[in-house]
Amino acid sequence: MKKFFIAFSIALVAFSSCKSLKEEWDPVFTFGGNTPAEQKLYSEADLKMLGFPGTFTSIHDLKALYKNGPYEINSNIWIKGQVISSDVSGNLYREIYIQDETGGIDVKLGKSSLYSDYKLGQWLYINCTSLCLGAYNGMPQLGVEPDNTSTNEYETSYIDVQAIIDQHVFKGHYADPPAPLVVSENDIKAAISAGFTGELWGKLVTVPGLLYKNEIFALVYPNPNMDHKSANPENRVFLSDKGTWGIDSWAMSKNLYITYVEAGLFDSAEVGSGATRYGPITGRPVDYLPKDSKALQSFGSYAYKTYKEIMVTFATANYVSHYFRIGKTDVQVRTSGYAKFADETLDSRITKDGAACDITGILTVYDGSAQFTLVDEPSVSVVVK
Amino acid sequence: MLLLSALGLSAQDFSGGVKGTVVNRNGRQPIEKAKLTLMRGAEEIAVTESAEDGTFMIPDLDNGMYTLVITAPDFLENQVQVTVNDGYVKNMFNLSMTAVQQVTELDDDSFAAFDLDDSGYNDNPTILFGSNDVFNNIAGYNFSSVRFRARGYSSESQDVYLAGVKMNDAVTGYSPFSLWSGLNEAMRSKETVNGAEISDFGFGGYNGLTNIFGNASSVRKGLRGSLLTNSSLYRLRVMASYSTGLMDNGWAFAANVSARLGGNDWIDGVYYRSFAYYLAADKVFNSTHKLSFVFFATPGERGAQNASTQEVYDLVKDNMYNSNWGYQNGKVRNARVRKTNEPVTFLKYDFTPSDAFEASATVLYRFGKNGYTALDWYDAQDPRPDYYRNLPSYFLDFNPDMNRHNDFKYGWANEVWTHAKDYPSITHINWDRFYNVNRMQPGGRSKYIQEERHVDQKDLNLAASFKWRASDVVTVTGGLDGRINRTENYKIVADLLGGEYYIDIDNFAEREFSSQPWKLQNDLDYFIANGEARKLKVGDKYGYDYTAQIRNFGGWINGKFVFGNFSANFGAKLGYESFWRQGLVRKGLFPGNPADDEMAQKWAEYYVVPSEEYSYWRSKLARFFTYAGKLGLNYVIGGKQRVYANVAYFNDAPKFNQVFLSPRTRNTMMKDLNTVKTFTSDVDWQYSGGGINVRATAYYTTIKDQSKVMSAFDDLQNAFSNFAISGIDQMNTGLELGFKVPTYLVENLSLQGVLAAGYYIYTSTPRMTQTVDNSAATVMEDVLIPYWASSYDVNGIKHHHFIPSTPHLATSLGLSYNYNYWFIDADVEYFGRSYLDMNPLYRTDYATAGPDNQVTMDEIAYMTTQERFDPAWLVNFSVGKSWYIQRKYQLGFSLNAKNILNNRNVKTGGYEQTRMVDNTVSKERYYRFDPKYFYMPGFNYMLNIYFRF
Repeated sequence: MKKFFIAFSIALVAFSSCKSLKEEWDPVFTFGGNTPAEQKLYSEADLKMLGFPGTFTSIHDLKALYKNGPYEINSNIWIKGQVISSDVSGNLYREIYIQDETGGIDVKLGKSSLYSDYKLGQWLYINCTSLCLGAYNGMPQLGVEPDNTSTNEYETSYIDVQAIIDQHVFKGHYADPPAPLVVSENDIKAAISAGFTGELWGKLVTVPGLLYKNEIFALVYPNPNMDHKSANPENRVFLSDKGTWGIDSWAMSKNLYITYVEAGLFDSAEVGSGATRYGPITGRPVDYLPKDSKALQSFGSYAYKTYKEIMVTFATANYVSHYFRIGKTDVQVRTSGYAKFADETLDSRITKDGAACDITGILTVYDGSAQFTLVDEPSVSVVVK
Repeated sequence: MLLLSALGLSAQDFSGGVKGTVVNRNGRQPIEKAKLTLMRGAEEIAVTESAEDGTFMIPDLDNGMYTLVITAPDFLENQVQVTVNDGYVKNMFNLSMTAVQQVTELDDDSFAAFDLDDSGYNDNPTILFGSNDVFNNIAGYNFSSVRFRARGYSSESQDVYLAGVKMNDAVTGYSPFSLWSGLNEAMRSKETVNGAEISDFGFGGYNGLTNIFGNASSVRKGLRGSLLTNSSLYRLRVMASYSTGLMDNGWAFAANVSARLGGNDWIDGVYYRSFAYYLAADKVFNSTHKLSFVFFATPGERGAQNASTQEVYDLVKDNMYNSNWGYQNGKVRNARVRKTNEPVTFLKYDFTPSDAFEASATVLYRFGKNGYTALDWYDAQDPRPDYYRNLPSYFLDFNPDMNRHNDFKYGWANEVWTHAKDYPSITHINWDRFYNVNRMQPGGRSKYIQEERHVDQKDLNLAASFKWRASDVVTVTGGLDGRINRTENYKIVADLLGGEYYIDIDNFAEREFSSQPWKLQNDLDYFIANGEARKLKVGDKYGYDYTAQIRNFGGWINGKFVFGNFSANFGAKLGYESFWRQGLVRKGLFPGNPADDEMAQKWAEYYVVPSEEYSYWRSKLARFFTYAGKLGLNYVIGGKQRVYANVAYFNDAPKFNQVFLSPRTRNTMMKDLNTVKTFTSDVDWQYSGGGINVRATAYYTTIKDQSKVMSAFDDLQNAFSNFAISGIDQMNTGLELGFKVPTYLVENLSLQGVLAAGYYIYTSTPRMTQTVDNSAATVMEDVLIPYWASSYDVNGIKHHHFIPSTPHLATSLGLSYNYNYWFIDADVEYFGRSYLDMNPLYRTDYATAGPDNQVTMDEIAYMTTQERFDPAWLVNFSVGKSWYIQRKYQLGFSLNAKNILNNRNVKTGGYEQTRMVDNTVSKERYYRFDPKYFYMPGFNYMLNIYFRF
């Protein structure tokens, strides 16, 4: 009997240790979890191990490298900056803004919910080598080489491969977020004049004393799944040139968009290519129902429906740009329809009573115009005087 | 194999011989006047007959090896080998005979401990395994590795009974082998019938029935222990059992315990930490009354495998890549862990007032927890390492219409995945990141958690059956059964992963209704009472909580009429099945109407809009009257051959999970509920004699009006969608052949093989209704799925679509050697014509037309074609030997080597994703997402060492 147990004990040990003893048995003997590893926060000394040359290039100097097209960075350039944007409210998507004393820049980190990984005020160190500097309608962006596709309109592409992020973006220590820079109309004009290297672009700023212009701009696509570039004017509805179109919210969630469409707010909107302003006007949503269906053939089985019906069927969230003015300079506040505050209405004191307000956000440039992206809720970002 | 089972020997003190008792395997009743012929080689040494109590004795034998041939009218011939040495009489104890009409258990001790029923792929063996049918013996053991399913039937059509109670899951119909996996000794004794044959224990369906006895006296007497290791499931199994057998005082006690532990050679992250225990007692009061009590459970957990796309497998050069696990501070952790503890207990009463009548009644209760963990996340990046946006194909596709071309990004993604071991934080789950993200959140709100989805059953069953031998001509069997099942579906927070709390809101709803906080609530009542969503701690229920309430009642009767060599069965079954959904929480998306004015007032305060559809309270009742009929004809030719045929028709209720559109969110059912109509027929020929066993079967089955509900993310709706499909018809027809014949060239060497050639096709154009979880609106209502049963290639040639996930052609040919307590088996197998499971969305006009609504033959061929897997060759080998030590102990081993050719490219299953690529350049067509596959492990082995006292 004793021999049996000895033999079995030997067999038991042999069976248990055939392969990769450690990893294979990890989950078997882990009860209640084990302590996770702390994330690495890099110091400048750590960076030297990674090829950091010892001196950071300022964001302004980085921008200055840009000429008139995508600039692939082939030298050992590193920048550092503090995180000034958060996508927690959903108004930013797959991008993060950092700034130093000389300027700010849009880093196209192509991941969602970046606020979960990068804290406001945290220092980031970016090894720009092999990344790409570009512009989107004048706004400086840092990404990777542009996509080589027939439809690409961007000078940079998202940094959405985790390995590229891991090799180029290093988290530094936490710090308080920088205070927004209070700017005047002249500061904005100066930035516009400076163009791509304008110091304000991509920075966290407060513009005091803005007045609402009672004007919005939005371009919605009746069927976003179909081609909606200028080559397909049927699929573009412009909400512009006619005040606010009854839109009193910062943007339009899908639900609110449907409500607006069904309420007839956009019945007189124009459909067109946008090639010349809005291009050839091909119709209006409320009554655009040609019986021969020629003009709406691209809508397929929906060709005989009205724009309103198509817009409701394929509804998605839509952005809205509200126009404000400081002095004689327009500043748009553009808000994503996916922002959690998209459906919040603008304070009626601003829209109806003509009250001035101070707005804080990331200042960007779009085709020579200043544009705001609210980082936080309007209740925080927009202070009514 | 019987040889090894029959060797629970004891030493005697007189001259050499052999003795034992001949019994009917079914019921262990003694068989009188069985003829026992003892052979030594070709020489007949002795002939005797069993006595009235089945006993026999052949004395005065020389030492040596003998073959004992046992024959009896109406029973299959049986042969066992016996060794006489040292002048002892070998006690063979019970030598069981198989009734000609009854196929019963194989003593599978040599290899059955290989837990085919717990493969980690799912919990079900692919066919009823453990019968003495020559086809099932070979196919059941060897074919499970490729997920072979008998006659192409779904696994839920396989009836599994325990002590006379049908154990198939009340909600899904799946056979519940996992309830007793690891209790091989306790659950070894069973009775099995094939196809549409009727068992004494239940009416059964069309895919066979296995009844496991499970009581104390069915466990083999004595102390047994085994150690097992296998390289494809778990590293170590330790098992012990003890049974007193039926003692003189009428009691029998039995216990069985086991532990299965460790990982395996093939799938990283898959592990077992599973235990099992079984306690049973029988009390035989007298020849009339017997009571059995059993309690068992298999508590434990095991890590699961996940399917991935071929792109991933090719990149990592490993078809067994598992995306479910990752490192947490250097230690392996699996995100998908099945955690179960579902005890089963039953009390069975046997009543045998006479030789002509016997009856039994069982009350059985199943309860406990069945959980399955998964990652859940809120407003955070998708944590799955093989998420399509992380793969090289997302950055480069040579089809310009796909609009993917970025060499830089492709290069990096390709570098990572082709050197996966160097980038474990990217190619596997990055647990450390979850903790770091969660700890960064203000207030400690977790962004990533591990949830545990529960399907907890309270299942009360009552089954009673009788068998009345009214005369030599007529035997009547019948029974009644009832079931009350309450299955609660919910999930809990299993691990906050470093955070302090999680919030009970619907992520998908928030995308659309962020400005209407009441709509986001998974628990609207809590929100209204507290003004905020619930903050969840570990163990809290969240997300959804509902019960499936099921009530089944029925009865069956069967008459068997014997006229000489001819016999016939007529059976019928009637039943009533009903079920409903009981929502236990009120979800914001579907609050229904307020119950009273007070509630209406509170709702108004939060701007809650009532809805037509209810998440809370009780759904409509789904009721079905079911019936079935069976006819069996049987003719025995000369005691060795049998020709028989069965024909049956079933009108079965759909299952709960095939009826509710989105049971996690609301009470809504499919509009037209139909019963499933099945017609089946088979013709069989069986030969058993002279060491030859053959069975050949031809079958034809049609199954009509099936339905199912699938849930998946739909890119076009940008929402979680439910696809309810109805009107699925299929036809299964084919041939089965199994044989085992002596080679006559080498003594004790047999040639054995099986052939299963089937043609299983879809025959209808089903209809589909698509809804999304976020809305009561119907996306597609009752649209045809025109390319479900067949598709067309670019030349317009029609191609049938086939029943997936099983080879339609499966063959095995091998040799079996059995001598002096050695067995050696080797076989070569071929599997062909397996198909991938289809996604209905790809077979609609909607998908084939694309955004431009223009259908082309190219689009039809691309979108609707069903993938056929490459055929596979496999070679397997088994060897075993047992020894008797001091005439008191038995020590043995069995070694099974599977897939010796190390074929690592055998797809065993998979599925098409529901998603489609819609952001193309042309905006003219959609593209499929790549399908996901499961593969069979390469070379793997199982070594079992066992001892018995």
